[in-house]
Amino acid sequence: MKDMRMESRVDSTVNKIEARKVQVYYGATHAIKDVDVDIADRAVTAFIGPSGCGKSTFLRCLNRMNDTIAICRVEGQILLEGEDIYDRRVDPVQLRAKVGMVFQKPNPFPKSIYDNVAYGPRIHGLTRNKAELDQIVEDCLRKAALWNEVKDRLSAPGTGLSGGQQQRLCIARAIATQPEVLLMDEPCSALDPIATAQVEELIDELRHQFSVVIVTHSMQQAARVSQHTAFFHLGHLVEFGETGQIFTNPKDPRTESYITGRIG
Amino acid sequence: MSVAMLLAVIGVLALTGFVLSRQRALASAGGNSRALHSLPNYYGWNGAIWVLVPALAGLSLWLIVQPMVVESRISADLPAALVADDSARALTMADVRRVAGGLDQAVAQGAMSEAKAREMSTGAVDVRAVLANVGVALGSNVSPEVLSAAQDYRAMTAWGAAARTILILVLAVAGLFWGVSRAQQDYRARIAVERVVLGILALASSIAVFTTFGIIWSMASETYDFFTKYPIQDFFFSLTWSPNFRGNSDLGMIPLLWGTLYISAVSLLVAVPIGLFTAIYLAEYASKPVRNWVKPLIEIIAGIPTVVFGIFALVTVGPALRDWFAEPLGLGNSGSSVMTAGIVIGILNVPFISSLSDDIINAVPQSLRDGSYGLGATKSETVRQVILPAALRGIVGAVLMAASRAIGETMIVVMGAGAAAQLSLNPFDALTTMTVKIVGQLTGDTDFASPETLVAFALGMTLFVITLGLNVFALYIVWKYKEQYE
Amino acid sequence: MTDLAALETAPSPRATPGQSIYVTSPEMKRRNAAETRFRAYGLVAIAVSLTMLAIMLFTILRDGSSTFFQAKLSFPVELSEKVLDPKGNRDPAEMAKVTTIGYAKVLASALLAELERQGIDLGELSDKEAAELISKDAPGGLRAMVLDNPALIGTTIDATVLAGGRIDGYLKGRVTMESAQLDSNISPEQLQLADRLRTAGILSSGWNWGFFTNPDASDQRPEAAGLGVALIGSAYLMALVALMCIPVGVAASIYLEEFAPKNRWTDAIEVNISNLAAVPSIVFGILGLAIFINFAGFPQSSSFVGALVISLMTLPTIIIATRAAICAVPPSIRDAALGVGASKMQTVFHNVLPLAMPGILTGTILGLATALGETAPLLLIGMVAFVDNYPGLPLEGVLDPATALPVQVYSWASRSDPAFIERSNGAIIVLLVFLVVMNVAAIWLRRRFERRW
Repeated sequence: MKDMRMESRVDSTVNKIEARKVQVYYGATHAIKDVDVDIADRAVTAFIGPSGCGKSTFLRCLNRMNDTIAICRVEGQILLEGEDIYDRRVDPVQLRAKVGMVFQKPNPFPKSIYDNVAYGPRIHGLTRNKAELDQIVEDCLRKAALWNEVKDRLSAPGTGLSGGQQQRLCIARAIATQPEVLLMDEPCSALDPIATAQVEELIDELRHQFSVVIVTHSMQQAARVSQHTAFFHLGHLVEFGETGQIFTNPKDPRTESYITGRIG
Repeated sequence: MSVAMLLAVIGVLALTGFVLSRQRALASAGGNSRALHSLPNYYGWNGAIWVLVPALAGLSLWLIVQPMVVESRISADLPAALVADDSARALTMADVRRVAGGLDQAVAQGAMSEAKAREMSTGAVDVRAVLANVGVALGSNVSPEVLSAAQDYRAMTAWGAAARTILILVLAVAGLFWGVSRAQQDYRARIAVERVVLGILALASSIAVFTTFGIIWSMASETYDFFTKYPIQDFFFSLTWSPNFRGNSDLGMIPLLWGTLYISAVSLLVAVPIGLFTAIYLAEYASKPVRNWVKPLIEIIAGIPTVVFGIFALVTVGPALRDWFAEPLGLGNSGSSVMTAGIVIGILNVPFISSLSDDIINAVPQSLRDGSYGLGATKSETVRQVILPAALRGIVGAVLMAASRAIGETMIVVMGAGAAAQLSLNPFDALTTMTVKIVGQLTGDTDFASPETLVAFALGMTLFVITLGLNVFALYIVWKYKEQYE
Repeated sequence: MTDLAALETAPSPRATPGQSIYVTSPEMKRRNAAETRFRAYGLVAIAVSLTMLAIMLFTILRDGSSTFFQAKLSFPVELSEKVLDPKGNRDPAEMAKVTTIGYAKVLASALLAELERQGIDLGELSDKEAAELISKDAPGGLRAMVLDNPALIGTTIDATVLAGGRIDGYLKGRVTMESAQLDSNISPEQLQLADRLRTAGILSSGWNWGFFTNPDASDQRPEAAGLGVALIGSAYLMALVALMCIPVGVAASIYLEEFAPKNRWTDAIEVNISNLAAVPSIVFGILGLAIFINFAGFPQSSSFVGALVISLMTLPTIIIATRAAICAVPPSIRDAALGVGASKMQTVFHNVLPLAMPGILTGTILGLATALGETAPLLLIGMVAFVDNYPGLPLEGVLDPATALPVQVYSWASRSDPAFIERSNGAIIVLLVFLVVMNVAAIWLRRRFERRW
């Protein structure tokens, strides 16, 4: 395990996602107010903040998961490589293939490990034959650092794995659709410390290929895995910057209060 | 003393017990009800219970046992020729009871003195004519044996009634004294009363078990009777069903079982896709207002009596299928058919499947849906590849329950399936089912000694075992399914 | 831990690198089409079942609503003493010797006289054929009326009697000139005469009270068949079922929900209740036949035996509903009562039960509504028999032979004359009206007393 990686170099400065003046309403509640954020490609961006601050809500806007909630309304602009994802022409289903998601609680489907990983490639028609699919499943399980643990029991049910393995399976499943962005909603909150460490290590590896956005309530985790950090409070984006700067030299007093544990 | 009179006396004694016990308890506490262990009324109730419970229990026991004792003693005295076998015995005993009842009426109407009713013989009086005069018609002349048996019957019944009155009154009065004597200041009347009430509640809840035993016992004994008269292997394995009330019937259940299963299969082919897609649409696609309107509309189907569906099959569906499909396709010209009954039972089962599946689909955790949508799956892909596999056990359970309902359905098949017991594959042929034949063999004139009647009990037993087995299995599957997500 | 080597070498193919999200890929178009189809299957499924429901209700209304109107003949009838009371002493025993055949002649001649008075041409019909327009049931009714009130003899009354079933069918469009030609019971000439009677105002169609009050009638006189016995039978059934099921059901539910210890007997009860709810209704009929009729010797066809059988069937439903209602009373109510020193029994009877009452009532009404439509078990205990005597008043009346609404529907449907199919549908309408009323009452109760804890 590497320790606090505040000094880690930022690989890229190309922006994958640019959000401008995003507002989210749940019925009459104004959940997200005026958020501007740039998500860099091939880097990990962390959203931190006290619970209920809107960080998960904002994350779910990035692949339009909020569409499944009837009373939710999104305004403003979210550009993926310069294209507005809320544009009328965009098919949210197709979008989600590009912007994958991993959830708080590991949610493997009640299928075999193999079928869990093969789920995305199959529905998106990414493979032409069984051999290609086998290859993808193996690659993704390797990338998710799960291959050695499960290679002998690919047909065992995914729900039979341990919590940490399940979450890594979900990550493997998410990257199998070959997304460009990977959204992670508190991926370690249901895991024990050892499993958390494994998943964090994995996230660090994944940023070489994907643009990763992670929501976390653990500041240590944000500090360990991310290059950029956004601090949300009461629906506002309070501060956004390089992780090292946010944690060592916060500009906003609220950020400082949160980091030093006075609000949260 | 008649039973009604006896009940009235017991009631009065119970009331007396209530009042006396209450007074005595209060008196023992010097009129200060706060010095009593329980509220005064509990002492009263305790007194009443001591009268009611022993007296009523004794009375019901007597009422059940007396006729059995009397009948067995009378039939033991009858000449062997009249009670050669079970059916002859039943017939003779029915005659005896009828004559005895007629004599009772004749005495009650003053057509005959009590002494004459006791003494007269067939030689001296035309009993049939006398009884016809008081409104009791007999099928044949009364034989001397039957008359004397009837006279014995009356005597024993009268003696029984007298003994009953004395015994019950003794029980009630003894209970009254005992109950009142308990009414003392520190007697825990409330606890005693509550124990009795609890016993009554427990008894009420046990009725379900008694019913099951009743079903099993009534059918098992008659089924056993049937198998003593008809070979068991012929019933289960013979391929012909042709009952003949003059005897020599073929009573093989295979054709009936075939019809039952064929019709149930057709009904499932209708009900499962329609019910399942209805549930999927309502659970995953429909907006709230649509759901709120459509769900009760579908449920209406479940609230309509099956006899109405039977008419629908008979008057509308049957002729329509015959005119539009069977006849043009050259498959037959019968309005009653496997298709008619199957389709209508299917429609009847749609709300059953859809509401069970709706519950089951809603029990699939939202996190699985999110997981699938998050990977870029469409709704239908999520339903087909995640939700349905996850809900599969539950849905299989629901389908099995629907199958059990279809197998046990009676009115629709009676009116829509026909009565021809045959092994046909043509879905437009009239076939028949076990339930149809149970109704057929048990309505109208029945002789409970002939295998043609008794076969209905064997069919009922088979039906009971099949549906119960399916249902227990289905409940087990659903229970396992629910456990998985709890 | 991490397969670094694999990570370096593994290809990272993007399926559609750099493709604009504004463009829907062909693959996506195909998937969206599949999505639309799937959604359509759902809509079709709902449409199919609702259409079937609509067709069913429509055919019942179409075929059954005419039952509530009935063709009747009105003409003056002279009740001559010479024919009806030849001895002239108004002795009921003497008068009873004049049979319905005698009264039929009186009616026939009165009708013919009226035709002659109004100058209506009989055409080629004989007097006898013309008189066949009168229902065969009419003379019996007239005879009962006269025997009831001997003072009518010697007077001329304005009688309104039922027209024959075929004439009724003609007015309702069921019988036509073409069908009459093939029908031995009616001829086209008789129908033409019916037309003339109609113009003359002798034949008319009016509200059919008899349908609700008359007992069943034989195959030859569908026009006289009514639901009287069935309505009384169903009323007795429902009253007895309610009397037997509610106390036992509530007692059982209280025990299971509040007092039952966790042991094998309790488990046996629970398993039995859930399984009894799924036992086919016909099995309960067999139970009733074997135990209540053959073993206990209760009279066949009686509403009492019917009620016993239906009660056993309905009990599981009522227990399940009652337990849910008792379960819905929050524990805080029980704790509060127990906390002030009430015994468990007092808590249940004084606090829990009153609060659960609306829920219990709702469940019970719905259970009774199902019981009202139950048919199969009643067939087995003989309630399908032809009963044309009204059962007596309670209590003895519950032991008299009776039929029930749904059974009447079935027995009419199995007769050959299409006029009985009309009656059958009419009976269904009556049955459905009762069911709607019961369900609306249950919904109203639920809304009225719905409590949010």
